[in-house]
Amino acid sequence: MLETTVVVIGGGATGMGTLRDLSMRGVPAILLEQGGIAHGTSSRFHGLLHSGARYVVNDPASARECIEENMILRRIGKQCVEETEGFFVLTPKDDPKFVDAWEKGCKEAGIDAREISVKDALRLEPNLAPDIVRCFRVPDSCVDGFRLVLHNRMSAERHGGKALHYHEVTEILKRNGKVYGVRVLDRMHNKTIEIRCRYIINAAGSWSGLIAAMAGLEASITPDRGTLVAFNHRFTSRVINRLHPSSDGDIFVPHGSITILGTTSVPTDRPDDTRATYAEVVKLLELGEPLFPQVHDYRILRAFAGTRPLYTPGGASGRKATRNFQVVDHAADGLDGMVSIFGGKLTTYRLMAEKVCDDVCKRLGVGTTCRTADEPMCPAPDPAILEQATKYFPTHALNLMADRLGDDLEPVLQKAKIDAEKAAIATGTQVCDFSGNPLLCECEMVSLAEIETVARDPGVYSLTDIRLRTRLGMGTCQGAFCSVRTVGSLVEHGINLEFSPTDSVCRFMQERWKGARPALWGQQAREMEFGRAIYAGLLNLDGAMHEQDN
Amino acid sequence: MKVRINPDKCIACTTCVVNCPVSRVTPKFLGPRMIGPAYERFRLLGLAEDESLTYCANCKNCDITCPQGVHVSSINMLARAEQSKKYGASLRDWVLAHGELQAKMLQMIPAGLKNWGMLNPVTRHVLDKLGIDKRAPLPAFAKKTFRQMFKKINQPDLPRKIIYFPGCYIDVYDPQTGLDMVWAFNRAGYQVISPDAFCCCGLPMIANGFWEDARKRAKRNLTELAKWRNEGVPAVTGCPSCALIFREDLPEYFPDLVEKLGMHQLEDAQDFLLQCAERGELALREAAGLEPMEVIYHAPCHLRAQGDGLPGYKLLQALDGVKVTEANAGCCGISGSYGFKKEKYDIAQEIGSELFRKVRESKAEVAASECGTCRVQIQHGSGKKAIHPVAILRARLEPGNRQEGQTG
Repeated sequence: MLETTVVVIGGGATGMGTLRDLSMRGVPAILLEQGGIAHGTSSRFHGLLHSGARYVVNDPASARECIEENMILRRIGKQCVEETEGFFVLTPKDDPKFVDAWEKGCKEAGIDAREISVKDALRLEPNLAPDIVRCFRVPDSCVDGFRLVLHNRMSAERHGGKALHYHEVTEILKRNGKVYGVRVLDRMHNKTIEIRCRYIINAAGSWSGLIAAMAGLEASITPDRGTLVAFNHRFTSRVINRLHPSSDGDIFVPHGSITILGTTSVPTDRPDDTRATYAEVVKLLELGEPLFPQVHDYRILRAFAGTRPLYTPGGASGRKATRNFQVVDHAADGLDGMVSIFGGKLTTYRLMAEKVCDDVCKRLGVGTTCRTADEPMCPAPDPAILEQATKYFPTHALNLMADRLGDDLEPVLQKAKIDAEKAAIATGTQVCDFSGNPLLCECEMVSLAEIETVARDPGVYSLTDIRLRTRLGMGTCQGAFCSVRTVGSLVEHGINLEFSPTDSVCRFMQERWKGARPALWGQQAREMEFGRAIYAGLLNLDGAMHEQDN
Repeated sequence: MKVRINPDKCIACTTCVVNCPVSRVTPKFLGPRMIGPAYERFRLLGLAEDESLTYCANCKNCDITCPQGVHVSSINMLARAEQSKKYGASLRDWVLAHGELQAKMLQMIPAGLKNWGMLNPVTRHVLDKLGIDKRAPLPAFAKKTFRQMFKKINQPDLPRKIIYFPGCYIDVYDPQTGLDMVWAFNRAGYQVISPDAFCCCGLPMIANGFWEDARKRAKRNLTELAKWRNEGVPAVTGCPSCALIFREDLPEYFPDLVEKLGMHQLEDAQDFLLQCAERGELALREAAGLEPMEVIYHAPCHLRAQGDGLPGYKLLQALDGVKVTEANAGCCGISGSYGFKKEKYDIAQEIGSELFRKVRESKAEVAASECGTCRVQIQHGSGKKAIHPVAILRARLEPGNRQEGQTG
């Protein structure tokens, strides 16, 4: 049995942000997440850090929150945010009358929206449709959801917080109208533990309705499924939005090495309903065409879906439902010690955490104020250390890695240094080439030292866990080369994952396949067929699995 | 005009990596797939260039082997051009890219003096400091350029005409082979025209990142060729790299020029001669009293990249007294000026080592190859003389009239 002051349920951006906030205020807290890093919606969106311009007409309150949080996140999450800016583009298919209301809304919300000439827009983004009518620049940005969650966790841990992944809450323990803990299934060790606490914060996003129900409460949470398409390369350097009332398939977001197009909006009864369909992909491409006429020619890596945790107490649904969030203290419903945070969106996760922590801290009698907007989540990497590391890391892969690793950077560099020196002694050469630290994943430039260090983390159980922290297998070949290389290296270095090496590869490839299936044509179909030839043919993975079973 | 490369075609099969002569011998080059299409995704992300880009030799073995039709080398050359636009190029690279211009500037100086000036140990030491390896086999200037010598030839008045694009190597270092070419076409019934307007094909400029200079050359050459295309006169070159530039690179790099000026196919001269022989226009009867001859043939990478077989090799096979074997040992390593560079000299030698071994161990007295710098490299690496197939053709058909000039 564990004991703490606050249990946070849900390891997405909101939950992890809440853990960070509490930890920075000195409140002991444990976070419980049923899956890995950013298992839910925090990794299943287009990676857009809203300027708020999307909401100015329908939801001005959300818009104002967005622009404020957007500016804060640029400060505290430098390594998670790419400051790209965004365009709002009026195409010949859009109603030009909408522009006035939109411009007025931007002004009122304090969003700096400036019109630029179509010629300039096309110069900056040459792949945009040449027939666009008007274009406005807004301070949209891009954010890496995996990294945001990870860096929040690292910051929380530095302040004494604790996050348990693959821990599923099975029961809310209460007595006399007051919660006193939770019962949790440790999925990786298949055992049940109890955690005693004074407060529970339900930050489970799309699952928050189910958690509330578990406590015997009622909450109108309607998960709303949004499908997105990930393209193989970056054909825009800016976020591109259609300048019209929010609709499907009208946002393109450059995300690291790829571009993401989203989304759809379909109500669903399950928070884990993350299937994307062929029909949705085709529809998204059609909808994306007015912005990027060549959208059908760009290679699709995969399609994926996430569920928005829409809070719908009044019955509004889909795009009409507010994107605003609500902190609900269930004392009013007769359950003391449980607070839920319903609705909201990734851009405002920090604010949501702040509000819920304010509420809980008041009740706990903790007087410290929120500092999450003041302190960066991870310190910027030391340029001198990076400079030294260029001896055993390809320079530019190094910079990418430094941003994603956060606190793990130093151990990775140490490891690479020791390996390089060992290799140099063994071969009698100078420490200058990278043969001691090869790139195991070339598509996303992930090196052996990085993978090995991350794999040794006790919270990492599978190739997917490694992927979530390093981008392993998320590029062009979708795991065709890196999964076998990685498993081989891990075996060689005596690092065990949860499953056997063959099983690990099999599960990883299946998961990659799941995303590729709804958009399997052209070069990506060739890619997958090639992967199949490697794993099913050359390596006879099915046969190996069969032998293992016997 | 900006040429945009799309990295979507690559399926990361790594066939190019297996066949890349450079990545086989040095880890300094991350390999064609990584530096080409894979890194292109990071270029689009705004990431700075990877240093290992400079190690691509532009030999085009990646393009030859890619099953998906990705022009990996083009991605690399465009990225290199972008680099030199941003940061400028080194003096060494300028020198190696503009051999044509230097030759022109030095035209009035006698060859002996030029060669003494360029190839003496002191100059080589200075060049070495500049980044041109002192061990590199820099070719010597010929006494007179092909252009100068060509003007003095009295060709028979033949009704059929042909345009000959000599290329810089023939013009500056190996004019005799150019004269052999003229002789062969005359014998096949063609009067040779080699217009003064022709200049460097642009390949050394592309390989060293001088994009605008290459474009100027392309414009000039295409304008001249267009004139002859309109008159229906065929055009040939004996240099596989020049042929490749016109055929593959110019349409890709300067599509606007090609669209405006049109494209006059620069045919492979050896192939043209072979066809003449097949039609009976060119008699391949060897001179009487010649000893049989053994030749080892090296197919230049840029010839293989055109995918049209090995016409020069076939031409030699068609000669009764010549026993020719194909070296079949891959790249020679030189890739134009690549193997002259100080940081690449050893790499180039290592790449060519298998070819050198085969040439050395072969019973052949000479090696043959269409590419000028391949010949320089083979001679340097194996110690055996290397000459152009058409030079052998002339030596077998009309040995008496062939001057023993420089054959590079």
